[in-house]
Amino acid sequence: MAKKKTLPVIELKGLTKKYGMGDAEQTVLDEIDLQIEKGEFITIMGPSGCGKTTLLNILGLLDRANEGEYFLDGKSVEKMSSSRHARIRSQQIGFVFQSFNLINRLSVIENVALPLAYKGMSRVRRLKQASDSLKNFHLSEREYYMPWQLSGGQMQRVAIARALVNNPSIVLADEPTGNLDSKSSHIIMEELSDIHKRGNTIIMVTHNPDLTTYASRVIHMLDGQIASDTKTPIELVKTAPKVSLASRRPKTTRQTKKSKTKAKKK
Amino acid sequence: MNRPLIIEHIQNALHSLRLTRMRSILTTTGVAIGVASITVVLSLSGGITQVISGQVAALGDNIAVVRPGIPQRGFEGFTNPTTEQTYTTSTITEQDYEDIQAIKGVDAAAPLMIINSTLKSSSNTVPQGTIVATTPALADIAQLPMRDGQFIDSVTNKNTAVIGSRLSVDLFGTDQPIGQTFTSGGQQFTVIGVFKTINNPINFNSVDFDHAAVLSLEGGKSFHQGTAQIQQIDVRAKNKADLPGVIKNITAKLTNSHLGERDFSVLSGQEIAQPANRFFYAITAIMTLIAAISLVVGGVGIMNIMLVGVAERTREIGLRKAVGASSGNIIVQFLVESLIISSFGGLLGFVSGYGIAFLISTFLTFNPALTWQIAAIALGTSIIVGVVFGLYPALRAARKDPIESLRQYH
Repeated sequence: MAKKKTLPVIELKGLTKKYGMGDAEQTVLDEIDLQIEKGEFITIMGPSGCGKTTLLNILGLLDRANEGEYFLDGKSVEKMSSSRHARIRSQQIGFVFQSFNLINRLSVIENVALPLAYKGMSRVRRLKQASDSLKNFHLSEREYYMPWQLSGGQMQRVAIARALVNNPSIVLADEPTGNLDSKSSHIIMEELSDIHKRGNTIIMVTHNPDLTTYASRVIHMLDGQIASDTKTPIELVKTAPKVSLASRRPKTTRQTKKSKTKAKKK
Repeated sequence: MNRPLIIEHIQNALHSLRLTRMRSILTTTGVAIGVASITVVLSLSGGITQVISGQVAALGDNIAVVRPGIPQRGFEGFTNPTTEQTYTTSTITEQDYEDIQAIKGVDAAAPLMIINSTLKSSSNTVPQGTIVATTPALADIAQLPMRDGQFIDSVTNKNTAVIGSRLSVDLFGTDQPIGQTFTSGGQQFTVIGVFKTINNPINFNSVDFDHAAVLSLEGGKSFHQGTAQIQQIDVRAKNKADLPGVIKNITAKLTNSHLGERDFSVLSGQEIAQPANRFFYAITAIMTLIAAISLVVGGVGIMNIMLVGVAERTREIGLRKAVGASSGNIIVQFLVESLIISSFGGLLGFVSGYGIAFLISTFLTFNPALTWQIAAIALGTSIIVGVVFGLYPALRAARKDPIESLRQYH
């Protein structure tokens, strides 16, 4: 569906990022060219230090490249002010982190509502929207829990709910399952692929090759360059995870219940 | 768009301050102490000024006083107070007093020669008693009420005295002292009158008449080998309209007779409210300085605690930036927090400072002044302290790199 769009959501031209100076200079991203269409689910793979996270940070406007161009929705972001970047982060980008990054002193619902504060929304509306977002992740009964009272998988689901609460066009996930056991990992991946099916663009960095089965496109990086870029046929994506999941997942009542509710929703 | 965000910042700041309740309270206390001491100093010194200016108003606006010494104003007056009354010879002479009396428009004039001397009666001794040598006009100008007997007049003997009610008790053990005698400076004085209790030790004459003995000018001169040491001349013009002309004439006349030397000052209206003793100013200035230092210490406390807060919340800052907070949002978030600490401390300090001032004033004869200026200074300085000492931590928070911040573990 999104394939037909002419304008890519993200377009990188010769993007280069260097750290350090003089002899200590290190090229982390080496003239990366990349086009990402709306609705793609991309996983970026590669060994440690290949520049995956740096690329993700630049895509998320948390970092700036030294050279090259980055067009977001056809607009160059290089010359924008940092407050403009903040506004784009607030309106278009959702982050999911490996270490969840929930604020411990805020309750679950307040954590989810946090991005909306910077859109200038009133508190009542924020909490209502956060509550709606949590409902999608079956966390309604956990709204007033504190983050430390949740399991790792639940925390990450809260984090994803937070990333999605302001309806971003792009979701950036940096090893979202890195701190989770395989059972929770697959729940998270199910959620992400569900989001993807609703039309969001997802870019995920991961070390785990199993997770590439969810993606519509897999990019391998090596030494700051794109080593390979393979598109998985959409049909395959739709079927593949279900097959692989069925064999791997331990069948607990909770999960079957969960997939049932999901099926109902569809 | 901005309004709900400010409310959000305030709610958020209150929340995080509540979570670190102990240190928030301690930091607030630091500011409160600073503001309280400023409030105490200002309200007490304001109280004194109010008392005196109230008297000037009550006496009518046709009073001027002549004091020795070069008129000192502004900063120099604060930093270099002169001790003109106590140890130096006065530049005002008896001739000046007579000249002033002769000036047109002057209704009455009274010189004040203030002498500190030990007073002895047959039973008691009052060390360092205050003796005021003056002319009969003083009772009228300063409106000194008699309880018994009479004030000195043109026919009374130079060895007669009128004493204050408290001095009477101190000296003779009774409030009916008429006819009794006391000695001072080797001379004996007979009490011919006693004042009503005035209970007003701070006044434009700088004399507590409840504790003073009033002699005739002739009687006073005998303490100084027959010359008058006049510390002040009270002048009353015939009416208010005459006062500026009278002041001008006095200035011209005295300048002329002092051979062009401007070694006196003629004060009227609110100028009289400046207490005669310049030490008062110096003390107020020093006290204010000490209070300001304690406020700075309180401010450093804010900065300290805010820096701790910023360090503790590095990850939160990184996350807030990632979900769309601009640097400005982060600055405001932390600035609001330090402002809440400082303004709450300011409010607390103002209230408790005023309470302390009232407590102190029970030992004094005047009430502390409660003016909007003092409230504005107390709250204004606390807000300034909050901004000044909160700005650096807030800027530091805003300058944090979100990537680095998110990588940090606690």
